[in-house]
Amino acid sequence: MRRRDRGRLALGMDPLASSGRKKACLASPEQARPIGAPGSLCSCSCCRDQRPETNIQPSSAGKSADMKNLCLGAAVVAAGLLISNPYHLQVLTFIGIYTLLTLGLNMLMGYAGQISLGHAAFYGLGAYSTGILTVHFGWSPWLTLPASILLTAAVAYLVALPILKLHGYYLGMGTLGFGMIVFIFFREWSRFTGGDSGLVGIPALALGPVDLSSRTAYFFLVWGTVLAGFEVCGRIVNSRVGRALRAIHDSEQAAAAMGIDTSRMKVHVFVLSAVFAAVAGFLYAHMINFISPNSFDFMTSVRMVTMVVIGGMASIWGSVLGASVITLLPQWLHVFMDYEMLVYGLILMLIMIFIPQGLVRGITELYERSRTR
Amino acid sequence: MPQSIVELQSISKSFGGIQALYDISFKVRPGAIHAIIGPNGAGKTTLFNIITGLYRPDEGLVLFEQNPIHGLAIHQIVRLGIARTFQNVELFASMSVLENVLVGHHARLRSGFWGAIGRWPRVRHEESRAVEHAVELLRFTGLEELADQKSSDLPFGWQRFLEIARALASDPKLLLLDEPASGLNAVETSQLGELLMKIRERGVTLLLVEHDMSLTMGISDHILVLHQGRRLAEGTPREIQSNDAVICAYLGKD
Repeated sequence: MRRRDRGRLALGMDPLASSGRKKACLASPEQARPIGAPGSLCSCSCCRDQRPETNIQPSSAGKSADMKNLCLGAAVVAAGLLISNPYHLQVLTFIGIYTLLTLGLNMLMGYAGQISLGHAAFYGLGAYSTGILTVHFGWSPWLTLPASILLTAAVAYLVALPILKLHGYYLGMGTLGFGMIVFIFFREWSRFTGGDSGLVGIPALALGPVDLSSRTAYFFLVWGTVLAGFEVCGRIVNSRVGRALRAIHDSEQAAAAMGIDTSRMKVHVFVLSAVFAAVAGFLYAHMINFISPNSFDFMTSVRMVTMVVIGGMASIWGSVLGASVITLLPQWLHVFMDYEMLVYGLILMLIMIFIPQGLVRGITELYERSRTR
Repeated sequence: MPQSIVELQSISKSFGGIQALYDISFKVRPGAIHAIIGPNGAGKTTLFNIITGLYRPDEGLVLFEQNPIHGLAIHQIVRLGIARTFQNVELFASMSVLENVLVGHHARLRSGFWGAIGRWPRVRHEESRAVEHAVELLRFTGLEELADQKSSDLPFGWQRFLEIARALASDPKLLLLDEPASGLNAVETSQLGELLMKIRERGVTLLLVEHDMSLTMGISDHILVLHQGRRLAEGTPREIQSNDAVICAYLGKD
């Protein structure tokens, strides 16, 4: 009953309105209007007084997302101003970069339900294209940002066209192969990428006279980008496109029957997630000033998938949590010395067994259960 | 005034060595309720899938409002005004009842990725119109109070009604229903019959594939009977009920 009332309230209706009135309305001849005609809303008097306000669910979802973004923004500002330990700041900045990666991959995996085991390739393409253009060609980093985004998006688009025709395990295999090809490319094209020894001397970022190379400044740059990414993803999720993505996840057949061009939609979200990875790669390259192929290998792709799954599929907020857990856990586990990886694996297993829906949803459910008790 | 909204012209379709449909011609008149019946394996679902674009006919034409549509992608056919429901109810399980109907609006809305990110006034207006219309459809099918529930939490009968509401959201001229009464009890089936009549009053043409004879005979204007991929009979429910060939096919020869 409580749930139902909440639904009515969300629809802007009087929760106490009797269903008898609704039945009376259904029987009225006013209903026999063609659907979709401009005046097709039921216009009998019994409906008019409970006609919903124009903005119902999407905007209320948007508002709570706005609140969350504000909270995260406040937390970011507070952390940036209060934390002065450079090591802690750097770890937090890394979490920001991983959050960006996870956010993009979550749009593809969590929402559209398409797996990618080669996403480190796009992360690497973003990093290497800015690295090569600045080091070898002397471009300004602010010119290389759009360049690396465009390049990565173009590659993602060309790869997506054939590869997203695959489903399930085969898509996993296909993206895995793609990731490996790109990794080998980074390693072997040594004239530009520096091969195994890496690409050295990537410049730090500066915004006019403002030097962004300090840890605090970079922290704000990365987390500012993350907040923008949150806003973008939140808006997409609560839109026609976001609904189409979730529909593809639930049933591709039914999604097509709704008029959704499923293959086009999948290609677009693949490109979107690659762009997020490219931006993360750009930020990574200019933070570390040095990149080598090993940062973009298969294990990085796997780590990205793990972050999505641990945080929670189809949960924008899970991206922060997943990225944080996977980044921080190994640091905390140093106390276990040689058994570090063992404990790490065990924790991941336990999370998957007991809260397979991901940390965000798991914690929310625990909280709700404790409240109803 | 066009004579037919959908016209099939000598459709044949085989899968491997099995001839699923053999030279089927059929016209669907606008504003009527049509039904396709026949024993299992008669080719009903194949015919259905040919109209919705899932299969391509080996031979023959499918005309929608006098234009050929065979060979178009499924989503393009939906945009022309043909919506469908599924035999096994294919709802979007992770989404709410209202969101399911909103997905049904997809073909009528235009905003894409950039519109979603920019959230221009036009996009917001389009979105709020879609929500209004979705709520109206839920009211029409009697599901309005459940708008906020997860669709997979609904009882099966209501899931069927939701699927119909979702199909109506694309503003179809023709609604195809694949065994809408399967899994429904007698009360729900009669409610379904009432709903289908109301949908016809809204100017939507209906074509159903159905096993439930009480429903089919009660609401159909015109029935096509298939048997082993061939047309066995065609006519009004009364004509079909007294047709010897149909009785033979259903009950076997005496």
